[in-house]
Amino acid sequence: MRTDPVTLRVLENHAQAVAESMAYTLFRTAHSTFVKETEDFTTGLTTPAGMTFASPRDLGATWFIGLDYAGVIGAIEDYEEGDICVTNDPYSGYVCTHTPDMHIWKPIFWEGRIVAFAVGHIHNTDMGGAVPASLSRANTEVHQEGIRFRPTKLVSRGVMNEQLLETMLLNVRMPEQNRGDLNAQIAAVNTGEAKMHEMIAKFGVEVVEAGIEDLLDTGEARSRDVLSRLPDGEYRFVDYLDEDAPGGVPVRLELALRIRGDGAELDFTGSDPQLQSALNMPTGGNSRHILLMVGWNYCLYTLDPSIPLNGGLLRPAECIVPEGSVLNPVHPAAVGMRSLTCGRLQGVLMGAFHAAAPDRLPVGAAGGGGIVNVKTFDIATGRMAMASIDPVVGGAGGSARGDGTDGSGANSGFLKNTPVEINEVEVPIRIRRYGLVQDSGGAGLARGGLATELELEIFAPDTVVTARNRDRTVFAAWGGQGGGAGAPSTFTKIAPDGIRTDLGNTDVVRLEPGEIINLTSGGGAGWGFAHERDAVLVARDVARGAVSIEEASLRYGVVLEPDGRIDLNATDHQREKMARTARMSPPSTYTYNAGRMAFEAIWTDANYAALSTALARVPVPWRHYVKRRVFAHVAQLSERQRSGDGRDVEAAIALAVAAMPQLAEHLPEYAPSRDAAE
Amino acid sequence: MSYRVGVDIGGTFADFCAVDEATGEIGTVKVLTTPDRPGQEVIDGLGALHERLGIAPSDISYFTHGTTVGVNALIMRKGIRLALFTTENFVDVLELARLKMPDPYDLLSARPEPLVTRDLVFGVRERLDAQGGIVTPLDRDSVIAAAEAALARGAEGVVLSFLHAYRNPDHEAKAAEILAEAFPDLHVFCSHRIRPIIREYERTSTAVIHGYVQPRVSSYLGALQEALGGIGVKAAPMVTKSNGGIMSAELGKSACVEMLLSGTAAGVMGAAYVAEECGAGRVLSLDVGGTSADVAIIRDGRPGFGSAETVGDFPIYVPTVSVTSIGEGGGSIARLDAAGLLAVGPDSAGSQPGPAAYGRGGTQATITDAFVASGLIDLGALGYGMVALDADRARAAIAPLAEGLGRSVEETAEGIVGVAVSGMYREVSKLCSRRGVDVRDFSLLAFGGGGPMLAGFLARELGMAEVIVPPAPGVLSALGGLTAEVRNDFTAVAYYDLASENMGDLAACVKRLAETARHWIVEEQRHEGEAVYQAVAEMRYRGQSFEIDVPLDAAALEAGDPGPLAAAFHAEHHRLYGHADPEAPIQIIAVNMIVTGHAPRPPLPRSGEVVRDVAPDRALSVHLDGARREIAFYRRDALTAGARFECPCVVAQDDTTVIVPPGFSGRVDTFGNLILTRERPDAH
Repeated sequence: MRTDPVTLRVLENHAQAVAESMAYTLFRTAHSTFVKETEDFTTGLTTPAGMTFASPRDLGATWFIGLDYAGVIGAIEDYEEGDICVTNDPYSGYVCTHTPDMHIWKPIFWEGRIVAFAVGHIHNTDMGGAVPASLSRANTEVHQEGIRFRPTKLVSRGVMNEQLLETMLLNVRMPEQNRGDLNAQIAAVNTGEAKMHEMIAKFGVEVVEAGIEDLLDTGEARSRDVLSRLPDGEYRFVDYLDEDAPGGVPVRLELALRIRGDGAELDFTGSDPQLQSALNMPTGGNSRHILLMVGWNYCLYTLDPSIPLNGGLLRPAECIVPEGSVLNPVHPAAVGMRSLTCGRLQGVLMGAFHAAAPDRLPVGAAGGGGIVNVKTFDIATGRMAMASIDPVVGGAGGSARGDGTDGSGANSGFLKNTPVEINEVEVPIRIRRYGLVQDSGGAGLARGGLATELELEIFAPDTVVTARNRDRTVFAAWGGQGGGAGAPSTFTKIAPDGIRTDLGNTDVVRLEPGEIINLTSGGGAGWGFAHERDAVLVARDVARGAVSIEEASLRYGVVLEPDGRIDLNATDHQREKMARTARMSPPSTYTYNAGRMAFEAIWTDANYAALSTALARVPVPWRHYVKRRVFAHVAQLSERQRSGDGRDVEAAIALAVAAMPQLAEHLPEYAPSRDAAE
Repeated sequence: MSYRVGVDIGGTFADFCAVDEATGEIGTVKVLTTPDRPGQEVIDGLGALHERLGIAPSDISYFTHGTTVGVNALIMRKGIRLALFTTENFVDVLELARLKMPDPYDLLSARPEPLVTRDLVFGVRERLDAQGGIVTPLDRDSVIAAAEAALARGAEGVVLSFLHAYRNPDHEAKAAEILAEAFPDLHVFCSHRIRPIIREYERTSTAVIHGYVQPRVSSYLGALQEALGGIGVKAAPMVTKSNGGIMSAELGKSACVEMLLSGTAAGVMGAAYVAEECGAGRVLSLDVGGTSADVAIIRDGRPGFGSAETVGDFPIYVPTVSVTSIGEGGGSIARLDAAGLLAVGPDSAGSQPGPAAYGRGGTQATITDAFVASGLIDLGALGYGMVALDADRARAAIAPLAEGLGRSVEETAEGIVGVAVSGMYREVSKLCSRRGVDVRDFSLLAFGGGGPMLAGFLARELGMAEVIVPPAPGVLSALGGLTAEVRNDFTAVAYYDLASENMGDLAACVKRLAETARHWIVEEQRHEGEAVYQAVAEMRYRGQSFEIDVPLDAAALEAGDPGPLAAAFHAEHHRLYGHADPEAPIQIIAVNMIVTGHAPRPPLPRSGEVVRDVAPDRALSVHLDGARREIAFYRRDALTAGARFECPCVVAQDDTTVIVPPGFSGRVDTFGNLILTRERPDAH
């Protein structure tokens, strides 16, 4: 290290002060309610090469620690003082990850030399395109997701490119908001530049430059230190999205985490092909792309909350992401809903890391409810009313440290809800129920966090309820060390006559007066054997309504009297029985729910591997189509016809190749042999 | 003879400030707090006043007091066993809170356990809509059933918090009646009476905090009234409030939620008073105690106000003087973190065991120890001789860190101060960006036991041009309570557009609140002087989710003209956020009425400035700015109005030590404030 440990801490505080002042300036001056409510923005400072070395801790999005701006910084030929650059193109440099995110960067000069960049982004409510807010799972090409700008100078030597601005404003649905938010971003990077200049004036440019590198090196060293305390090995984990497009088939996300000493390789081979929907994550195959690394940051920070959150944290990692996959799509795949995929992928990293540190990291978090918005007609004001009602996310997974938090937590811990009273004043709906769901947390020595439930009644025709990121009706949160899986999520429509319709993973519903929807997230999963949970805690869960008296007996083996007292004899007896059963089955790292086990009975690892291997050789635009054909074929097989060893898939691919001879040159071994043809 | 006496109770000391009504002269006394016997320190202190300053209890004409009983009960979770009744199907309001976790980067982050756990939360059958209309009438049987279940689980009190009670309080009021009739011994609290704000979690949390501590605070105030009467204090005691005002202790018994943050608020009011008197228009106040540093922005003698604060683990929504708390105080502990970097705080040695130099069993190096080891606190005693300082212990506590860093003890001590100051720099920078102010235009007003030690260093770091140290910085909170006005705030939810058709409703609402406020100040508070009524609207553009306060122009209200009100909102929005949208519709979310009863404030004593250079008492050998050097040492009582003194220097006084690092020139103004001026202020 070039910098002594006292000066480095002082420099760190000053750098954080710059990044945080930028964040508060942006937050204070931003126009849109979306930015104020969701805090979906970032600010920060990067090295001249683009690596983030300071990000705010208490304001803004949590996903972008260590975002590398190199891809866009290098796209501009030369920089001059007073320049400000922007881009929102997910395919130019792979910094922006979907079109609503407008990224901005400004070079900070000192004596004619660039010493840092002030950077950041805002999620704009709308960037134009096929649907309001620019995001829809059903989009198939990035062109439907709004107007895009390559890395461009928005301001050259202090002069605004008005034509560029005009073009943007013409193409978006709420131009005054975009304009206002862009001004807030400009104010933020200008604040960053001014405060960085103050810092350099105070400490000297050499000290600051050396300090920046040392901060990143410290982040790296601390990160390597955390990794080196984990046992070496390969930790494989798989999880799924329920649907690859509206009404579709599952998406597999697979990771082999190889921890070697103080470094790690993250191999995502085996994950689904690029999709004909907006669930793709644009990473450009960058071996430390931030969307691949969100779960990494969460896990390392959880293992040691004293590590500095900067780009050095990512350096020990090396990702392998095959091109043309859902985690590395090629242009022009749609990417708008990458947040759903990214959220699940965080869980995949948490799963792999859990195996490496089962007593220090939690099991699966709930997820799946969706972020609920309502658009309806307000007869009292004669206006359309639109509001973001609530994120319905459910609880965290249990861990050796204790129960999962109820109703939110783990990697959803950054979300905020809207008060029931505000929702009912703003939108003419009635919220009939908002709370936690009994028995939804996976049973365990540490109980999974409970699911959240939201029930609304609609009073106007043509009301549209959207539930962005709906998922987890099939694949629920995974338990570990003997703990049970969480409950799956549900979505139900209740007609005025009481008839209930299961809406599954639907994310857009049109409703009529008197109709009710009930939405529950999944529950968090349990950790450790439920029959080993302290009976007093089980009785407390029953008293608090988290667990029913029936489930206490069935899942925890704790028999309670109607007044809540523990029946010690019956409990001992029942728990002994459960312990015996547990001893008979081999110990396993993970526990899955019925929906997942049913799916994997058909889609075994061997079958999925056969599919992934074959699809990797099919031209990218064909992959999703071929996947669907194979799924359709396998779905027709009876249990007797299925082998589960890969041949189910091979047969299906052979049929596909027979029907589409263009594929034969890519998959020659599946081509019908001449003999057979004759 | 008659004296006004103000008391502020802190973590270690209770500070007493007595003002002679005839001369304005100020006398101060400090005693140790008695956390096990709340109130005893008050009696002890009055005894000390009598003994040392000759002020008999019967000479006391006016008595104000800031109590910490409520906040301590909350932090130590020693309130009553409370149940919560909510609208059925919404019983998880405290569990869900606003969802966001304290540290969203930590997968194991958890919200603190609510004050009322779910086994004591019961749903009641009733439902109002957003307009206050009845969807489901209140079901008496479900109230009784809930109460019986709560009592079976040992509840001593019940908070009623029903949806939309801010709009229509009938259901809560009826349920309270039912409970009073059926269970007369139960404490019952209605959310709409504590603070009728929209947002069920915030209203419920505020009501729960109130119910949790109210019986404790009430019995404390009763006992205190009795004890004061017993020793012959004739003046009816007043208590300080979080809003910077005061009220009678009698009213405080039922309004304790309004007092929880009174300690920090009184300090800011004291600072504001000093700033106003000495004509400092823009001031950043810095109050450093044992565990934290509190900073506030004061303009023209007025602090900012807000209503969303945190007490202990929970949000509380009552009008409060805006203060930003930084986790660095004199007792903050220095350590080497896992990366080998020097870190200061947030752990604190607090007042027990306190810094190592206090010799009370503390062994870890604190900020105070760093100053002691550098030779910058040399009086040998702090707090009127109640704490003896031991430099050897301070050095011994720092030695392991010095070894880890490969530096001398002095260099390490300096590093501790530098790291602490850079942490404060970070937090103050955030505060200024949030408010859109340039701190270089402000003076730093330092008080509390630690403020005058750190202020010079912080002012240099922030590029501020001036530091002000009042004559008795250790007791400014006590003075703040003494100079405070009677003050109360009333609120009503409006939630309609600012438009001609709603002006009638708005005027009626203001009138109603004014009548409530008048009743409070005249009939309940029995204030005899002049009273001022200020109506303020919480407004926003439609679609925004945050409000800003805009004073309501009485003439426009009278005339039913929304124009001037809209113009005032646009202007305030522009001032705060840098932009406004004159075309956009404006909503009024709530109307607040602030009533203040002016009390005669003692003018700060001033004396003629005799401009002169004062020679130091002696030279002090210290480690400062990277070198061992001889600097000037003064006693504060030698620095009277008009004095100019050498800098750098150390100024010792009974309640604190002022450290002036290189880069300042020093003088004393007519009020006896030390004015430290940067010799070369940072350019903008």
